[in-house]
Amino acid sequence: MGNKQTIFTQEQLDAYQDCTFFTRKEILRLFYRYRDLAPQLVPLDYTNKPAVTLPYELIGSMPELKDNPFRQRIAEVFSEHGDGSMTLDDFLDMFSVLSEMAPRDLKTYYAFKIYDFNNDDYICKSDLEKTVNKLTRNELTPEEVSLVCEKVIYEADVDNDGKLSLEDFQRMIVRAPDFL
Amino acid sequence: ILFFAWFAAEEDLVGSLASMSTNERIKAIQKMPETMRKKRDIRNKVLKEITKKSRHRGAHPSCCTQCLQGAAVSFRRFGNTLSEYFHLLRIWHKTLKIIGAEFGTSVLSYFVFLKWLINFNLFSFLINFGFITIPQFLAAEPNKLSFTGLELLTGAGYFQQTVLYYGFYTNATISKIKNGPSYNMQLAYIFTVGIYFVICFLILLISMAKSFYRNFINPQAVSGNASKLLCTWDFNITNEKAVKLKQKNLSTQIKENLSEVNKEVLDFSVMERVLRIGVHLLAWVASLGIAVAACTGVYFLSINNLELFMKGQRNDLESQAAMLVLPVIASLLNALIPFLLSWLGHLERFQTPGQHIYVTITRIIILKMSIVGILCYYWLNIVATSESQCWETLVGQDIYRLVLVDFIFCLLGSFFGEFLRRIIGTTVFVSLGRPEFDIGRNVLDLIYAQTLTWIGILFSPLLPGIQMIAFLIVFFVKEVSLRRNCQPPRKVWRTAQMMTSFIFLLFFPSFLGVLSVIGVTVWRLKPSEGCGPFRGLSSMYAAVSGWIKMLESYTASKWVVWIYHNLITSELFFFILSSIVLIVTYLYWKIIQQRKTVTKRLHEQLIN
Repeated sequence: MGNKQTIFTQEQLDAYQDCTFFTRKEILRLFYRYRDLAPQLVPLDYTNKPAVTLPYELIGSMPELKDNPFRQRIAEVFSEHGDGSMTLDDFLDMFSVLSEMAPRDLKTYYAFKIYDFNNDDYICKSDLEKTVNKLTRNELTPEEVSLVCEKVIYEADVDNDGKLSLEDFQRMIVRAPDFL
Repeated sequence: ILFFAWFAAEEDLVGSLASMSTNERIKAIQKMPETMRKKRDIRNKVLKEITKKSRHRGAHPSCCTQCLQGAAVSFRRFGNTLSEYFHLLRIWHKTLKIIGAEFGTSVLSYFVFLKWLINFNLFSFLINFGFITIPQFLAAEPNKLSFTGLELLTGAGYFQQTVLYYGFYTNATISKIKNGPSYNMQLAYIFTVGIYFVICFLILLISMAKSFYRNFINPQAVSGNASKLLCTWDFNITNEKAVKLKQKNLSTQIKENLSEVNKEVLDFSVMERVLRIGVHLLAWVASLGIAVAACTGVYFLSINNLELFMKGQRNDLESQAAMLVLPVIASLLNALIPFLLSWLGHLERFQTPGQHIYVTITRIIILKMSIVGILCYYWLNIVATSESQCWETLVGQDIYRLVLVDFIFCLLGSFFGEFLRRIIGTTVFVSLGRPEFDIGRNVLDLIYAQTLTWIGILFSPLLPGIQMIAFLIVFFVKEVSLRRNCQPPRKVWRTAQMMTSFIFLLFFPSFLGVLSVIGVTVWRLKPSEGCGPFRGLSSMYAAVSGWIKMLESYTASKWVVWIYHNLITSELFFFILSSIVLIVTYLYWKIIQQRKTVTKRLHEQLIN
């Protein structure tokens, strides 16, 4: 059924299909994209589960990510070591969540982690300031940035602790249908 | 202790996953917000758990259950491969993704809407072709007219005696074999058209309800700053210029927002307010006046057209060209007046650019719908009662010409509006820059074309096929023109609500208007004597009532007669149906109100 491939065992492909939103063909295509980033590092045989990690610079140069202002945060969130370098598992994971087949609450969870720059499970004012600067390319003055962040926290923070928890963020996203 | 707590939680998770069905389990694992390694671990544990359970349970020989499991696994793999092949059928998936990446989701929604309309027209064409045209081919009369190339443009001449128009269809009951199964053309025609419109109605209603439900749940909360900041970033964009543009846009929006907050609300004096209202009123009167003037022009032109047609059927170039004057003028008006209305909107100086856009779109809709309305009036009241041989074919030809000329103008508009404008903007007046893709105007053009197609289905059954080919060419041309000539949009549109408003616009003025036109045609107008499936009857609907009368004599189909008399033609039934619908709507509305108050109260409790 389909082309015979020798990169993965059938068991591995089944596991990938169960754990991501991709079909078999898409998983193989993603593997080839991963390999194209560094053909000398990535072997063509994954049946014995080699431990290959690509550094962040290669991941960040992919055409899908290179213009995204949040590419570094995205890579950090999905990477195993937290520094942006990715194994094939992390790579597939990242594209699975970013694909259009992933449900909204999964994307919301990861969006929260992406905006949480200091990884403390809360989006505090400094996280928001960094987000605003990335979104507007440093066009606003620091006072304007500060004012915007205060307004956001005022509107969305329900338990009044000065920062946004995952529940606050999710509640806000539920009400905004434009979220992609 | 923490480790043990986490371990126990995982055991619970594995247990609950093992007890689900296969599909649910896969979906649950896919949705888990964990790393791939963790998910794989959990999945393997769950599979082990399942085999352990089945081993405990089964007193049966294990090879049987193993066989079943093996079969289930290979069946799932087969299903996966099959769905991959179905994905190949999504022809434009890649093109749409590229458009979304370079220009953003708002421009993408235009192309998604166009693709939806193409599918719709394909469906209409297949229904009409299968149920009406193919049987007609079996009973076709030979075509005595000659074919000159001009017919493609005017739709007259050779095409008059083909399946393209209503007039060609027979009113007989077609049966190839003596005493074999017969096919009643009259009933087929009216039932096909009727059931097609019912299906359209349901499809539109369901699509509207679905997008309404998704995008308008809580309109009160969307205007907040927080959602604007964190949710309007379009992560689909991968083009560098588009990203920079979006960033600049967002920063400008935030600055405007802040300056509004810092400034006090401008309090207009009474004099200024009266002046503003006066200016708005004047602009509305002007735009309605323009629409009325356009309609009068179209009306007189069409009466002139009919006189020309009735006078003589000379098939030379001059009279053929004269037939094209009406569609060309109508399309010219449709193409040029929107610019005038938009300029009028600029003069008015609205408070927000959003208001300007919505008011302009409303005025353009009023213009287009009134032009369609006046044409329908002309067709139904003047052409139908004229002494022409086959008025339905005349109407069909008119609509064919309108559709064709509108299509040509759409392509020309793309040429002038985007290609030439880009050349002017990059070489002569460099400050103008590249044009933006005008979503509103293009969508209204699509809705206008689709309205014409719907009206024309009764008179020219193959029209959806022609419109589908036209839309395909438009898709291709617009996509190429977009990529070569346009820049990403600078304004921010609320894209999620756009698809909803497009379908809403398609439904309300357009589809309901078409339904009323078709209703009047079927119930009130007398079909022509010499042509078409309903020749000789007093109205098209008389075919159905005649059929019911005939059925009364058969005892086997008494239930059909009963349904007809007591449900379809009885006013009491519709009255009861409408009251039930109104009561249910009212109840749902009350439930929503109550839920809103409860949410508000809970919200306040949480804060305090």
